[in-house]
Amino acid sequence: MKKRFKYLLLEIASPFIAILFAVLIGALVMLVIDKNPVEVYRTMFLFSFKRLDSVAIILFGMTPLIFSGLAVAIGFKAGLFNIGIEGQYLIGTFLAALAGFALKGLPTFIHLPLVILMGMLGGMLWAWLPIYLKVKRGVHEVISTIMLNYVSFSLIHYLIADVFMDKQQGLAPGVGNPIIRLPKIAATAVMPKMHSFLSNFGINLPQHVYLNWFLVLALLMAVGYYFLVWRTPFGYELRAVGHNPAGAETAGIKPGAVFFKAFLLSGAIAGLTGLSDLLSYFGYMDLDFPRGYGFTGIAVALIGKNGPLGIVLAAFLFAFLNRGAEGVQAFVGVPMETIVILQGVMILSIVVFSSVMGRYIRQQEKKEAALGSAAGKPGVTVGAQGGVK
Amino acid sequence: MEKTGAGVNIIELRRITKRFPGLVANDSINLEIARGEIHAIVGENGAGKSTLMKILTGLYQPDEGEIYLNGNRVAINGPRQAIWHGIGMVHQHFMLIPRFTVLENIVLGSEPARGGVLKEKAARQLVEELCRRYDFRLESDTRVWDLSVGQQQRVEILKVLYRGAEILILDEPTAVLAPQEVKELFVNLRNLKDQGKTIIFISHKLDEVLSIADRISVLRRGRMVGTVLAGETDKKRLSEMMVGRPVLLKIDKQESQTGQETLVIKDLSVMGSMGRPAVRHVSFSVRAGEIYGIAGIEGNGQTELIEALVGLRKVHTGQVFILGQPIVGKSVREIKDLGVGYIPEDRHHRGLVLPMTVWENAVLGLHRTREFSRPASLYFKKILAHAERLVREFDVRLGSVDLPIRNLSGGNQQKVILAREMSRDPSLIIASQPTRGLDIGAIEFVHKQLIKARDQGRAVLVVSADLEEVLSLSDRVGVIYSGEIVAEFRPQEVTLEEIGHYMLGSKAQPREGVGA
Ligand SMILES: Nc1ncnc2c1ncn2[C@@H]1O[C@H](COP(=O)(O)OP(=O)(O)O)[C@@H](O)[C@H]1O
Ligand SMILES: [Mg+2]
Repeated sequence: MKKRFKYLLLEIASPFIAILFAVLIGALVMLVIDKNPVEVYRTMFLFSFKRLDSVAIILFGMTPLIFSGLAVAIGFKAGLFNIGIEGQYLIGTFLAALAGFALKGLPTFIHLPLVILMGMLGGMLWAWLPIYLKVKRGVHEVISTIMLNYVSFSLIHYLIADVFMDKQQGLAPGVGNPIIRLPKIAATAVMPKMHSFLSNFGINLPQHVYLNWFLVLALLMAVGYYFLVWRTPFGYELRAVGHNPAGAETAGIKPGAVFFKAFLLSGAIAGLTGLSDLLSYFGYMDLDFPRGYGFTGIAVALIGKNGPLGIVLAAFLFAFLNRGAEGVQAFVGVPMETIVILQGVMILSIVVFSSVMGRYIRQQEKKEAALGSAAGKPGVTVGAQGGVK
Repeated sequence: MEKTGAGVNIIELRRITKRFPGLVANDSINLEIARGEIHAIVGENGAGKSTLMKILTGLYQPDEGEIYLNGNRVAINGPRQAIWHGIGMVHQHFMLIPRFTVLENIVLGSEPARGGVLKEKAARQLVEELCRRYDFRLESDTRVWDLSVGQQQRVEILKVLYRGAEILILDEPTAVLAPQEVKELFVNLRNLKDQGKTIIFISHKLDEVLSIADRISVLRRGRMVGTVLAGETDKKRLSEMMVGRPVLLKIDKQESQTGQETLVIKDLSVMGSMGRPAVRHVSFSVRAGEIYGIAGIEGNGQTELIEALVGLRKVHTGQVFILGQPIVGKSVREIKDLGVGYIPEDRHHRGLVLPMTVWENAVLGLHRTREFSRPASLYFKKILAHAERLVREFDVRLGSVDLPIRNLSGGNQQKVILAREMSRDPSLIIASQPTRGLDIGAIEFVHKQLIKARDQGRAVLVVSADLEEVLSLSDRVGVIYSGEIVAEFRPQEVTLEEIGHYMLGSKAQPREGVGA
């Protein structure tokens, strides 16, 4: 396994090199707008990591990104590009919110799981049409999911503003305007925060931090994703179909069926993306419910190379950048957009670096293979192959 | 073009080296081509023949070395420049436009025109003059889609002549031809030679080379082994030069001991991709313990027939039984589970998942068996052991089973497929073009395995475009033409000539003689 390990190291190294590169470009941008990059980066780090509650905010921020990153990645593994996470999580969030406020009198241990399931169901529902169209009619999933994103935006707007809007927001007559939102979810559907659990370890978080158990669920999901994709025959089929559908089909795997399962799974995970915000932070869904997690998820999967650990780390990176951006905006007067540029450069350079690295690794492998066969030893085994450096 | 350099050598290559990542395709090659000769270049697949020719036609630039034309050093930067120097390449994959006429195809890209208006009359005269001079029988107004493969090849040659080529390079021109067509091609080539053209003829079929060439150069693993006069060598010596060791030229096998009918096909019709019937009312059967070969020029329904048998393509009408079970409408997996091993014609597209590791490919299709997995987990240890066993038993040369299989040579990839399919202990083996693109060593190995499988009492169906292979391997042969089995016989019963007629559709056995 030594050889694999070396390549693995190289592959892991490439995103870090790319991040470093992006940091340099970011520094240039800051110089151009007349800020001291050292100062800016220092502020970013200190603001983000000096205080425990800020770290917790980053962890809260990375939760939805893990879900959306995993959702994108599972599609990628099967050779599908699910750009529709955005719409899928909005629909999922809506269904969850609906079940959250409409069902009353259930105990938490039934209500909360039910609401979470509704979120997944919503995501799945919104993923069903594109994959049906792809498998049965050959419509490319990128086109149909983009379209369905727009449909979901309008649909959600309609459902919130016209159908289910909460008219009794308990405002005194004449005081303020009611927000356009759904009714609040029942207390039994609220996801508990991690505060009391963490206080057992002497970590005391203030009330304005919303770190909740969805983070743990997201991490578990990443572990589950690993097992599913690399350890089960289904994951094996997923990867085979992703690389070569015709080859998989010849081996008796039905690519259409695998596409279906993978995409619905992707939709189901996507459906969890908005729930941390819904069930812990807002408690209701309104017209301004956070957007964009789906698109960031694509970047997260890309940077994380569709690996579970990579996705978690990439989600952390993005959450940190968002948090840090607030800091530098407030304290050094650097506009948020600088950080957006940083993110963009990071994504670009990671794509470039990993493709360069991938090519290098393939070449190395080829040389090694040539060596192995030139040496004329048939059947060199995994265990015995450490010889060639 | 100056023709003053009066030396005999129209082309001289000196120390040409071309490297690709991880290998040297041409290693310091020297080659002299005399004016007016037919010079054959032979070598196994991957020896570097095509690469060398691409350098000569400017498609690749050499990393080192020099090219001399008529004694003058030149640099050839692209096909246009090559043709300007009088070097023209007849491609193996024809680049013709089917709906255009012969004339249109020939002039396409270098149309004689004045003020943007095609001078059709002049073009026609020129083309017809060429046809006459070299005795190419072609109607200039026929559309290319109505031409046979051999005729299309003639159009390709004319295209090159039309552009003024003095030196013609033909890269494996006979690979797609029936025996008669090969003969006709050779007549054409001799005509060209008599008219003073120089011809470089690439092949790995030694009989052909010996009959057409004046001199023969042998390449092995990117190196020039040597150049010999065709009159002073023979097949045995050439093949030794090619492979670097003595080769068995004949497949030895015993009489077959046939058993029950394992595969029975009754009146099978299958639609092609264009919605036209590609396989028409085919009936035949393959018994346990025999090799049934399907001969025929490529594109006559072989692919569709095989895909229908393994469940990859829908059966239109008719019935197929494997071990007595009807399989029409069954899935690929159900069919393979009946005991079918399948070696697809395109291993990269159908046979393997190239980016996945050797061990993952070793269980492709077997990954759902109880031996290797449960729904919740793959049994890595068992899979690895299985992969290593296959690698050992089939003598697969590799660095590690843990690397992507794309790194293996074609022969070793094919061995993995063969080993995997044999590990299913199949009653029926369906092998489509099983030796395409392999070197002689690997071809021998594949042949031996197929014969061994037969001797173990398995039924084997082989499809190959290589007639020699079909004839030497099979116990019975069916010839497919235009989707129909037009003849069925034992290899010794018929002459090559006759088989050629069947392959070209100019002759068919009486109906009851076929598939009875
Ligand atoms: N464009 C290319 N990139 C990398 N390797 C190549 C390329 N073209 C050919 N090769 C390799 O170079 C070797 C010689 O190939 P080729 O000249 O096509 O052989 P031949 O025509 O004698 O069968 C083979 O191993 C082949 O895989
Ligand atoms: Mg070639």
